[in-house]
Amino acid sequence: MQDLISMPLVGFPIIASLIIMGTVSNLSEEVREKLVNPIRWAILLFSLGLLGLTTAMFYNYFGDLNGFEGIAFNNYEFTKRYSWVDSLGIYWSVGLDALSFPMVWLTTLLLPITIIATWDEKNGAFYHPLILFMGGALIGVFVALDLFMFYVFWELTLIPMFFLILKWGGADRKYAAQKFFIYTFTASVVMLLGLVTLYFLQNPLEPLAYAGSLTGRTFDIPELVNYAQNANMNGNWFLGASMQKIIFAMLMLGFLVKLPAVPFHTWLPDAHVEAPTGGSMLLAGVMLKMGAYGMFRLPIALFPHALEYFQLVLMAIGMVSLVWGSIVCLGQTNLKKMVAYSSVSHMGVICIGIATMQPIGWAAALFMMFAHGIISPHLFAVCGAFKHHYHSMEIGDMRGMAKHSPWLATSMMFAWMASLGLPLLAGFVAELMVLIALWHFLVAEGWSVLWMVGPALTIVVTAAFYLWSMQRTIFEGGDETQPPTSMDGHPIPDIANHEKLAMFVLAMFTILFGVMPWIVLDMMNDWTVQIFEGLIMPILGNFSGGV
Amino acid sequence: MIDPAWVSGLSAILFIIGLLGVFTRKNAIIVLMCIELMLNAANMQFAAAAIHHGDATGWVYALFAIAIAASEVAIGLAIFLAVYGKHETITLDDINVLSN
Amino acid sequence: MSGSSSSQIVDSSMAEYAPLIILLPLLAMPVILFLGKIFNTNPTWKNTLKEGGIIALAAMGGALFISLVIIKDYIGSFSNNGDIFSLTWLNTAIWEGGSSVTSIHFGFGIYIDHITVMLLFVAAFLCFLINIFAIGYMNTDPINEDRNHRFYAEFVLFCAGMLGMVLSDSFLWLFIFWEIMGLCSYLLIGFYYERPSASSAAKKAFMTTRIGDVFLMIGLVMLWDLFGSLDYSVVFDTANIAAVNPGSLQLALGMMFVGAVGKSAQFPLHVWLPDAMEGPTPVSALIHAATMVNAGLYLVARMFPFFGAESMSGELVDLAFIIASIGGITAVMAAGIAFVQDDLKKVLAYSTMSQLGYIFTGLGAALWLANSLDYHDPVAQTIVVVAFGAALFHLFNHAMAKGMLFMASGSVIHEIHHAHHHLHPDDHGDDDDFDAQSMENMGGLASKMPLTATAMLVGSASIMGLPLIGGFWSKEGIIANAWRVALEDPRFFFPAACVLVGAGMTGFYMSRMWLKTFAGKPSNEVAAHVGPTNNWIKTPLFILTFVTLSSILLAGMGFAHWAPDSEYSFLSEKGLVEGIMYELGHAFANHDTFFFILTYIAIALGAILGPFMAMSLFGGKLEDGEECKPWFRPVIRLNNWVYDKYHWDNSGIATSGLAIALQNRLYIDKYYDLAMVKIVAGFSNKAAEVDTKIIDGTIKQIEDKSQKISTTVRSLTTGSARDYILWVAIGTLLIFFFIWGVA
Repeated sequence: MQDLISMPLVGFPIIASLIIMGTVSNLSEEVREKLVNPIRWAILLFSLGLLGLTTAMFYNYFGDLNGFEGIAFNNYEFTKRYSWVDSLGIYWSVGLDALSFPMVWLTTLLLPITIIATWDEKNGAFYHPLILFMGGALIGVFVALDLFMFYVFWELTLIPMFFLILKWGGADRKYAAQKFFIYTFTASVVMLLGLVTLYFLQNPLEPLAYAGSLTGRTFDIPELVNYAQNANMNGNWFLGASMQKIIFAMLMLGFLVKLPAVPFHTWLPDAHVEAPTGGSMLLAGVMLKMGAYGMFRLPIALFPHALEYFQLVLMAIGMVSLVWGSIVCLGQTNLKKMVAYSSVSHMGVICIGIATMQPIGWAAALFMMFAHGIISPHLFAVCGAFKHHYHSMEIGDMRGMAKHSPWLATSMMFAWMASLGLPLLAGFVAELMVLIALWHFLVAEGWSVLWMVGPALTIVVTAAFYLWSMQRTIFEGGDETQPPTSMDGHPIPDIANHEKLAMFVLAMFTILFGVMPWIVLDMMNDWTVQIFEGLIMPILGNFSGGV
Repeated sequence: MIDPAWVSGLSAILFIIGLLGVFTRKNAIIVLMCIELMLNAANMQFAAAAIHHGDATGWVYALFAIAIAASEVAIGLAIFLAVYGKHETITLDDINVLSN
Repeated sequence: MSGSSSSQIVDSSMAEYAPLIILLPLLAMPVILFLGKIFNTNPTWKNTLKEGGIIALAAMGGALFISLVIIKDYIGSFSNNGDIFSLTWLNTAIWEGGSSVTSIHFGFGIYIDHITVMLLFVAAFLCFLINIFAIGYMNTDPINEDRNHRFYAEFVLFCAGMLGMVLSDSFLWLFIFWEIMGLCSYLLIGFYYERPSASSAAKKAFMTTRIGDVFLMIGLVMLWDLFGSLDYSVVFDTANIAAVNPGSLQLALGMMFVGAVGKSAQFPLHVWLPDAMEGPTPVSALIHAATMVNAGLYLVARMFPFFGAESMSGELVDLAFIIASIGGITAVMAAGIAFVQDDLKKVLAYSTMSQLGYIFTGLGAALWLANSLDYHDPVAQTIVVVAFGAALFHLFNHAMAKGMLFMASGSVIHEIHHAHHHLHPDDHGDDDDFDAQSMENMGGLASKMPLTATAMLVGSASIMGLPLIGGFWSKEGIIANAWRVALEDPRFFFPAACVLVGAGMTGFYMSRMWLKTFAGKPSNEVAAHVGPTNNWIKTPLFILTFVTLSSILLAGMGFAHWAPDSEYSFLSEKGLVEGIMYELGHAFANHDTFFFILTYIAIALGAILGPFMAMSLFGGKLEDGEECKPWFRPVIRLNNWVYDKYHWDNSGIATSGLAIALQNRLYIDKYYDLAMVKIVAGFSNKAAEVDTKIIDGTIKQIEDKSQKISTTVRSLTTGSARDYILWVAIGTLLIFFFIWGVA
């Protein structure tokens, strides 16, 4: 069957955006201005086409054998493999499974929404192609089934984000862009070290399939997972105990920094505050999930023994992220920084879910990745609207804005409520499942129940800072309201139609996945059950988690 | 014939003199001359070795070295001329455009 | 997604339409919202559709109709309780060790039993009536102009939440709808969001209930872990209960109870309810009197099967005691604070708090009895049923009466507002000093607003427990049962004493409220100028007055014997007349001496002493020449007589330390605010600082250090050819050493 992924989803966005940017940069200012509208319409329509493609894939329109109905561990759909560097065992290998497909669909959903929400961004002739480039690179990460290709796209995503922050960012953008790039790049280099070690520890005399002709080793992920699965059986440790722990730690470092997990999170607030709205939406919506995705794809599948070994560490990191993220939120005065820290807190939930080593916990982590990917772009679109229309994101600088901007106020309330986990909106399902997984884990393993204090405290504190920030911006103010000082007496606008549209669509999806979570949850649940039955249980035996 | 050992010794002394000159002299032409001195010392060493081992390879090496030294001096002087044209000086200490 | 319909358990053709009860209001919400946004300021929208009020009314009317049919069918057949249908919502799995994962699922369905029916009626009926009231109240006040569509949308969403909670078949969906109601409460309390007081009150309500909700969520998680499911059909199954550790179950139920404490504004999470009066009066009536605050009671009532299970016999009495004690404390505390309130709505708010405390005490006693007695013994069963039924019936009576009282107070406030506006047309908005809600600005309104005054009189009588009216039937039951348990378990003397004392206190403050508002002379020209209210407001008052007065019929029908178990049915055993005679005999001529005396003490306190004290201090004769309706005349005359004869100067008490403490709400609010602001906010500011200075500081340190190293290394590039030659020479030497070894 034809290759639905490489060209349409990954190749074309990247190549097309490069061509557009290249052409446009050679033109004069006036011609560029005239071209902005056709360019952004073209890109919007194209990204909508991508969304249609991925939705059709979901509904098995292309008649692939199993679709996502018969999900098996280490089994991928829509696969395609091209030889890239034959001598080293590098292939261009793409495929989707129930782990990556929701993320790909999410990315194709967020691309048109981001473009619509930031329709009027300055330098549009460069901005919109750059967003498209970003989308292509992100999809590349999720579909890659070869370690080398995975790493290439992992790093590739940093480039458009760096430029987005640098060219369209706020006042302190140079520092933020540099910090973001270097910080995450350094962590990725550690991850690369882990990957290369993994490569070189293979035995060239017993090459796996798709091994390089020169080196006898392979970068292919399904092959490695399969091999690792067998090598991990019967209490053996794939690559030996100490090596497995080391490589696991190296890989996890790269992913934890991306997630971000406390204490490696400090790049995120700076990056978010300085980034333009579109950059933030994609950063929070998809890029952060790359970390969690990578965790599932590589360290967990290859090194389950090490995962068990580091369970306490991972649980602690997740708990600290969860609680610390929300407490620090309460002390923020910048709206966007507050939302950034709340992202840190939500990613902590994912860590906790993974650390429980229960199918429900992992399914919860996956669902949180997905739900947060819909809710946080909404949050950042609201912040962006504040920036764009009020020129200020200081909480407390204004009061009573709901009178002037009812649409913005409604959107803000909706997004804020979704983020704090109101039931029937997408975030609640993930929260509930993680709580159940956590409690079951604590009881089954005999850990202290005081671990529950963390999530409990966070739920209350999260509600506190969200309500407090709403009160200090859109409510109060009396009949005259108190506009922010940055408006200087100008009339105060409501959000533009394109922003309304983007926020409305996100709100509708939040409700959809809140009321009918089974649309993606069934897929995620099947996958986690499969990975448990195929990987964890045979390998870890009569074990239900815990040190 | 002289004992090749003496020639080696002389060549070593001349080499060291040339090396020290390269390290310490400020004038570019002098530095070039010292480099020439080192090269000549090396040539002498080749000659001594050729005589000692009775192998013609040494003489061949010496001839090559002379030819290369000559071309190198030509290029070096041309560079110094160009540098002088730009900076009005060939005192090495003053030509530090590439400093931080 | 899988769906499965269990067999029709309730014999009703309407049962299939049960989901519509929730769906009608739920779908009305976006309709009202969007039509409102589009057609705002359109005259037809404003006048005919009442800015969405009529659409809401239609939805609530439909829901009420379906509810009534289902209730009628259910009562008619009294067949087994249970699920009407259920669908799967979430599928996931858990691993218990071993060789396979256990799949678990959460479903959504509708469950109908006695408790459902009671609360369904209360919720649907009151939602409908208060909707009518709201149309009369909100749409005639210019301050609400052009924003009522938001009100009705939020109102209707709330109703969907309440009805959903009552009908759902698992604790999970109870919680989900619980949170939806919390959201709507937040939105509606903060309806006048531009007022800082309203916005703060909304935040306070949400945060306080959120704290309770966290405990509830954890309790649910614990419960899930014990049973593997949250569905009622699984959780209430006696075999499953027998397999569970009693201590863990008590802990889980206790956590859930904390959630109920928050939602029903009991001590110590009560602080949000008085502030919630910032919302418009229909909100106070519906949410904070009649429905949402009953959610906590509903949750505790749903725990009955655990207490009644044989395997848990005697294990859960501690929890029952805690429930009763919290109720008792709140009952007395709130009544005390109500003594000194001048704001009409605040008196009612504290009254609500107090009465909810009563119901909790009643439930606590009933649960204690269920847990200690053998439910299968017919005598014991009757006792338990009577106890539980009293509590639920009081919930019913209170909801009806309090809803009516709030609506009546809204009527008064509305008319005072209008009168004020009439007399002082220049005073606009709410920045003026005139407080339309203060009883200081009222007086003598009995002649000017007869229907409202009647409604309020009947409502107050019901709450006070005046014999034969409304709450009397249930209140005596609660007091009696609390003392019954106290005779067995000495600890229960505390809540039992609380409810008895509280009866007297209730009598006092309710009478005080009525007398200050309706009796005596008008305190200023505004009160003198007040006229009767409009028909939209009058209709629900009229209807509820009759419901309250006819509670004797309801008691006769067995409403006080409302058991969550279908084996017992009062109505089918006795007829209506016989039932009424039974109730009367039970109340006034009890066989047991102790309870006989107790009843009369309670009546003496609540119906005689309390009002007497109030009459001696407040009220008095109406303005000369004022005519009032015939049924007020005995009341006013009695008040006048007592006032003339026994009036005493209470300024000593009114300015005492206790009075001031009560006026400051016993300083509890102050300490909570202090804790929030100083401790939590202070800590988080510190945390933000630590994050920036220390965690990020470490990164900055790394940045600085690497810059420094870089600068140092850079200083090697001197640009001097001589230095470079030196490095070349050194390098060459090193290479030689490495290649040929150290010589």
